[in-house]
Amino acid sequence: MTAVDVTAVAKSYGTTTVLSDITQTFGEGTFTSLLGPSGSGKTTLLRIVAGFVKPDAGVVRIGERDVTDVPVWSRNIGMVFQSYALFPHMSVAQNVGFGLGRRGIRGAKAKAEVERALEMVRLPGYGDRYPRQLSGGQQQRVALARAIVIRPDVLLLDEPLSALDRRLRQEMQVELLRIQRESGLTTIFVTHDQEEALTLSDSVAILDRGRIVQVGRPAEVYERPKTRFAAEFLGDANFLTGTVRGGAVEIADSMIATEGPLPVEGSQATIAVRPEKIAIDGAEAMPAAPDEPTNRLRAKVLSVIYSGTSLTYLLRSGELSLKVFAQNSLGRPLDSGTDVVLSWAPRHSVVLAD
Amino acid sequence: MLRIARLYIALVLVFLYLPIVVMAAMGFNASPLYALPFEFSTRWYQDLAGNDRLIEAGWNSIWLAVLTSVLATVFGTLAALALWRRSFRGRNLLRILLLPPIAIPWLITGTAMLVFFFWTGIGRGLHAMLIGHVALAIPYVVLVVGTGLQTMRADLEEAAMSLGSTPVHAFFRVTLPLLLPSIVGAALFAFAVSLDQFVISYFLSVPGMTTLPVEIYSAIRKGFTPEINAISTILLVASMIIILGFARFARPGGLGDSR
Amino acid sequence: MPAEAGAAGAPATTRFRPPPWLATAALLLPSYAWLTLAVLLPLGTMFAFSFLEATPLGNRPVEWTLRHYRAFHDQPYLLGVAWTSLSIGLWTTAICAVVGFATALALVRATAGRSRETLLILLLLPFWTNGLVRVFSWTMVIRGGGFLDVAARSVWPDAPSLGFLYTQPAIVLGLVHGYLPYMVLTCYIALLAIDDAVIEAAMSLGARWPTILFRILVPLAMPGLVTGAILIFVPVIGAFMEPRILGGRVGVTMGTVIEDQFTQAFNWPLGSALAFTMLAVVLGVFATFSGVLRRTAQA
Repeated sequence: MTAVDVTAVAKSYGTTTVLSDITQTFGEGTFTSLLGPSGSGKTTLLRIVAGFVKPDAGVVRIGERDVTDVPVWSRNIGMVFQSYALFPHMSVAQNVGFGLGRRGIRGAKAKAEVERALEMVRLPGYGDRYPRQLSGGQQQRVALARAIVIRPDVLLLDEPLSALDRRLRQEMQVELLRIQRESGLTTIFVTHDQEEALTLSDSVAILDRGRIVQVGRPAEVYERPKTRFAAEFLGDANFLTGTVRGGAVEIADSMIATEGPLPVEGSQATIAVRPEKIAIDGAEAMPAAPDEPTNRLRAKVLSVIYSGTSLTYLLRSGELSLKVFAQNSLGRPLDSGTDVVLSWAPRHSVVLAD
Repeated sequence: MLRIARLYIALVLVFLYLPIVVMAAMGFNASPLYALPFEFSTRWYQDLAGNDRLIEAGWNSIWLAVLTSVLATVFGTLAALALWRRSFRGRNLLRILLLPPIAIPWLITGTAMLVFFFWTGIGRGLHAMLIGHVALAIPYVVLVVGTGLQTMRADLEEAAMSLGSTPVHAFFRVTLPLLLPSIVGAALFAFAVSLDQFVISYFLSVPGMTTLPVEIYSAIRKGFTPEINAISTILLVASMIIILGFARFARPGGLGDSR
Repeated sequence: MPAEAGAAGAPATTRFRPPPWLATAALLLPSYAWLTLAVLLPLGTMFAFSFLEATPLGNRPVEWTLRHYRAFHDQPYLLGVAWTSLSIGLWTTAICAVVGFATALALVRATAGRSRETLLILLLLPFWTNGLVRVFSWTMVIRGGGFLDVAARSVWPDAPSLGFLYTQPAIVLGLVHGYLPYMVLTCYIALLAIDDAVIEAAMSLGARWPTILFRILVPLAMPGLVTGAILIFVPVIGAFMEPRILGGRVGVTMGTVIEDQFTQAFNWPLGSALAFTMLAVVLGVFATFSGVLRRTAQA
């Protein structure tokens, strides 16, 4: 088990900067997701750690060893590719045993290791089959077994679940997490699926245009996004921009309270509020005394998206467009045009840095 | 509508195959003047067995095709690896340079070779034909193998390297086995290109050092005999078998498709 | 390969590996050296020869001239020959376009699966057999007293001879037979790419078959038609073996005239100049239609 350190890594192709000044430690035995839209540089970062791409500047360390100039084949990594990249001309056992052979492990010992790895991914006895005889999920497991059987220092996963359908993907997420916990491998996982990143990771790193904009535990990153990009990319958010006045933010004629530290009096501030944190009530339910520690906003329902278990309201409050998620507990959504009052606790008003 | 369409395809097939069948049948007709009614005879094939000129030309053709196939396949495969697996400046220009041997009428390429080989002292003969045939076959090999490389995903090589293979090891254990159907297909194709090549051989041949198509041409110009039908039939059947073999091997994806 | 790029300039601890460009050059060298020797240098030399006064034999002094490029002006009969070549080329291309497009269309719309695959192979197979032999095989059919006559007389014993060997239509027939598979293949690929839904959409809007054919299928398959036409027209105007065998005395084309300069008249400079004039026409055709193709591809 080994930590991976990336220090001041930069990469550009011609005039296009793909990564700029990335410094990040991937802790021993942790599961870190690199999350970002396409073109954010997440795959390039993974390929730099793998050794397929040489950084223009910076250092990559796996454990104590500086591997910046070490070619892929001498790095001892395990990698699972988006398309699995199983060798079609080799049986499952030959695929899984490929890396062992490169490490001089052959014969009975290799056979035992292969069988154990296949048991770990719950495909015991599949050794004699060929990749084309397997389903997508099974191919995925073989690819994983092939990557972990060599006891790599780090496990690199390049969107390995994106080719699977939804049901299978959820199943594989559970499997992946179990195998990662059992093997204790330091794991770096590239994905553009936010839910997947939140479910699986010890730590989520959000990338935007070649920079890591926020890293942290999933709940921390979700509940306390630092930037508008982070708030928007991970989950949904309403953005309220106003002027700081007396420890609150003034938007139109409402004062929005928050628990976070605010910029200086009189400056502009943007607040993010997650749509599921907002409660929606009929206008007549508005209490007379607005002195409770709750943010309130009058709004009008523009439209409702009905999706069975939940409802999405699109609303307008003055110049603001808002979105609210509600449970469908009454079984009867509000009609569009209804005047309502929105309310949420000040701790759900997250002050953004930009 | 469907009926008419299928009947039409059948008519086109008749148009394509009728003359060939007639020609082949006449090779088994006893009359030297192609006179009918048809009377079965293997006489012309027996005559063929005693025709040293044609037999020698036949062997020349086969040897030339074998050598062309080997050289063009090795060289073309190497070039395809560079053109489809490496990025470098001028790659597109090099790909375009493959087109002249395919796109320029053979009459022009052939006469140009004649002029150049004469002028440089390379001269004419089987060695000159070999130079010409290999040059004609290389672009086809590059394109066939390149297509094979394109359908084979590059991440297989990366996967091998992530498991500890050096690029050389990855090539021999992963790339080459998966590319083999394309390479075999390309070799058959190159063989067929050389075996059927007439125009360039015609300009580069000297009496006594000719290939089968050149001999057939001069025989046709002297006057038809059923012996020509016999040798033509043999040549035709041989190329058809080779090309069917090619179609079997070079099916896009071949073994390389894991999806 | 990025991995190799990473190895360049590696510290002394890693084994020396040659720079990646060296490996690339080594892979490319055999093929391109060969192509240079066998195709590019010959074309260059022939270009130079086309400016020589006469074939350089013995110790005759080398004199440069442009007069071979004036051949069409000096020897007006060449204009007639060029016209013959051009009309043979146009007829062959046009017939191939109509017959080949229809074949490809029938293949795409009326067959499927394995039978389609087999039919396609059958349609393309003759193309990869010896062209000379196939041209020869037509003489068996269209000569006086050949298969065509025998077939006709089995129906009507007193039929006049239908044989038309040694005529221009015979040349065109042989060339169509030789190059039709090109057009079938290029049109097949183009037609295969057309989504069925487009045709269904047209039918739902009330279009009948002629409309669908000329307003949808032909325009959408235009790149295939144009590619096929280029692939046929270019070699056909350089053909010399087909006109000789099927055309006999009437088979005088640019191809046979050029061939004569090299094999009979031994006037290599004139042959070279004529060949390069023809090459210029070929390149002109390419340039014109590659523009058309690019525009269609963008549309």
